[in-house]
Amino acid sequence: MKERLAIPNLGNYTVALAAMVNGMGAEPWWSTYTNDHAMALGIAAAPESVCLPFKAHLGHFIEADDAGVENALMVNSIGACRLNYYRGMLEETLKDMGRKIRIFGLGFDGFKPPVFRYFDPPLIPLLRAVYIGVEKIRAIDTIEMQTACTRAREINTGETSLLMERCLRELSEIHTKKEVRLFRKDLPRRFAAIGIDNKRDPLRIGLVGEVSLLRDRQLNQNLEQILGHRGVEIKNFFLLGGEIGNNFGITMGYKKNTAKQLAVVAKPYLGCEVGGHSRDSVAHTINCAHAGFDAMVHVCPAGCMPEVSIRPILRRVSEDMDIPVLHLSFDEHTCALGMATRVEAFLDILWSRRRRCLGRTKRQGRI
Amino acid sequence: MRRGFLGIDVGSISTNVVFLDKDRNILFASYVRVSGNPIDSVKACMKELARLMQDKEMEIGALCTTGSGRELIGAMMGADVVKNEISAHARAAIELHPDVCTIIEIGGQDSKVTIVENGTVVDFAMNLVCAAGTGSFLDSQARRLDISIEELSRRSIRSTHPTAIAGRCTVFAESDMINKQQMGHTQEDILMGLCHALARNFIGSVARGKPLRAPVLLQGGVSANLGIVRAFENALGCEVIVPKHHMVMGAYGAALLAMEANVAKSRFRGAAIWTHHIHTRGVVCEDCPNNCEIIEIIDTDEVVGRTGGRCGKR
Repeated sequence: MKERLAIPNLGNYTVALAAMVNGMGAEPWWSTYTNDHAMALGIAAAPESVCLPFKAHLGHFIEADDAGVENALMVNSIGACRLNYYRGMLEETLKDMGRKIRIFGLGFDGFKPPVFRYFDPPLIPLLRAVYIGVEKIRAIDTIEMQTACTRAREINTGETSLLMERCLRELSEIHTKKEVRLFRKDLPRRFAAIGIDNKRDPLRIGLVGEVSLLRDRQLNQNLEQILGHRGVEIKNFFLLGGEIGNNFGITMGYKKNTAKQLAVVAKPYLGCEVGGHSRDSVAHTINCAHAGFDAMVHVCPAGCMPEVSIRPILRRVSEDMDIPVLHLSFDEHTCALGMATRVEAFLDILWSRRRRCLGRTKRQGRI
Repeated sequence: MRRGFLGIDVGSISTNVVFLDKDRNILFASYVRVSGNPIDSVKACMKELARLMQDKEMEIGALCTTGSGRELIGAMMGADVVKNEISAHARAAIELHPDVCTIIEIGGQDSKVTIVENGTVVDFAMNLVCAAGTGSFLDSQARRLDISIEELSRRSIRSTHPTAIAGRCTVFAESDMINKQQMGHTQEDILMGLCHALARNFIGSVARGKPLRAPVLLQGGVSANLGIVRAFENALGCEVIVPKHHMVMGAYGAALLAMEANVAKSRFRGAAIWTHHIHTRGVVCEDCPNNCEIIEIIDTDEVVGRTGGRCGKR
């Protein structure tokens, strides 16, 4: 019997992470979104003022512990979330509750990360699993981009979302690199089979902000779908493939948008790192304004220091570059109706901007 | 049969209905308190409206619902347009005052500010979880003092030396008001102090640095409160206009939007709808992992609409 390892939710990308964990000789415990039950557990256990993603991760691990999962993997974020004590805080909270689940980080102490020392995976299968995982991440990047593009134009509402779910399920069930590659190559054909209305000219909106909120649909209350079904083509700026390229310099077919390049773009407005992905958010907003996006939506958990601190900066960017930015902040009390009202009113503004600018030449840049 | 256009605004505290003829004249306007059941309050309004429509030999050309209950009532009535209340209020304000720059709308649970430039909305903001400074707080204070909300309005403007009240949070505001009352301040001064606190809180936490330029319109249920109007004039340093139909602006805007939607044949389910027995039932949809809680609207054993789904399926 293999020991189990709970992995944090990273939206659809959890599928790829699960494949990697599998190759490490542990059985993954995962889900592509935090369910209601886990959310309730996390909210009850965490300090009230802590941010929503923290509560979600905590709830997820408590749920895993209840199910008898022995280990969990958690990474500290790249920026300075909770001053790099994100994992430590989770660990301490779980310990205080008397939970037995063991939390591993990816940090090195000595020669290799403790998680590798514990599971001690043989090298060749591990490398193979990582390779398949990376390949799957690329496939999921493709799924994400195809979904965003098709959903805004689909004739039968909901069809794209169903196909996306089906693709992810199939992807989680294939285990060789060759199959994954073939699967990825086949994706555009499958999405093209959905009936789309070519006459529609959807609004283009960039989604920036905190990672968990961008990726976990429970936390962002299905924001991507809500926008998509209202005829908005979104570009979610957290694509894990691109992210790995950013932080480890491993290019995965994305030449643009490395952390360094983004820092240069953001420089006139924000000269230093404030934590999380906030500097990237500023840079993406500037890039989107140049590329002629209709607007940006900035999501952040209530009380998230890095994301809240760039709000005034984004407001300045918005004024200077004439790109509207909608700030949405989420916590467990966020009412779905209030969010829908804000989003709808925002889209009304954008459509009326479109109508007014009809005479002007439209910029249609790609990012 | 002449065509008329119906706007229904189902808010947290009140349900407003406005019926327009094709020349944009208001033939019928009603403001009723919801008291917990939006379906019944809409039915009560429809009962009156049905009589009027019969007398004037008119039919519904298009219907638009707005407000927090827009999805539910939209599904129940067969709405042609379902619009958010920010756009509906702005539409009505621009109709009555085409030169408006700032719209302050304070309702039962929400307070919003909308910035307008050249007759189009360019920015808006809405209060977050905190309900300080909205109608329900004024309601609860009126109840505590055992006076009607109208009397609260009259008393507050009689004040000569308004006292300072902490307005950041309703709970603290209430303790502060009780404190001032025990210290011996007159009720008028305390109530006017409260109005100033609410206006200050609105400008600080909802408008948050947005440019509030004149002409400023104040609408929504709270605009009937003279103390609040005076407090806003004081805080903004300019005249605050309370438009003609300030209590039913949302419904008026909705009716205008219905008219502009150019609907050939309305999906409206008939003026006799107030006689139907309508109730709702909650079910969980298990077609996908979203597991949405769907509300089915049942009109005498027949499901006429569903709300609450996140995938867009009906």
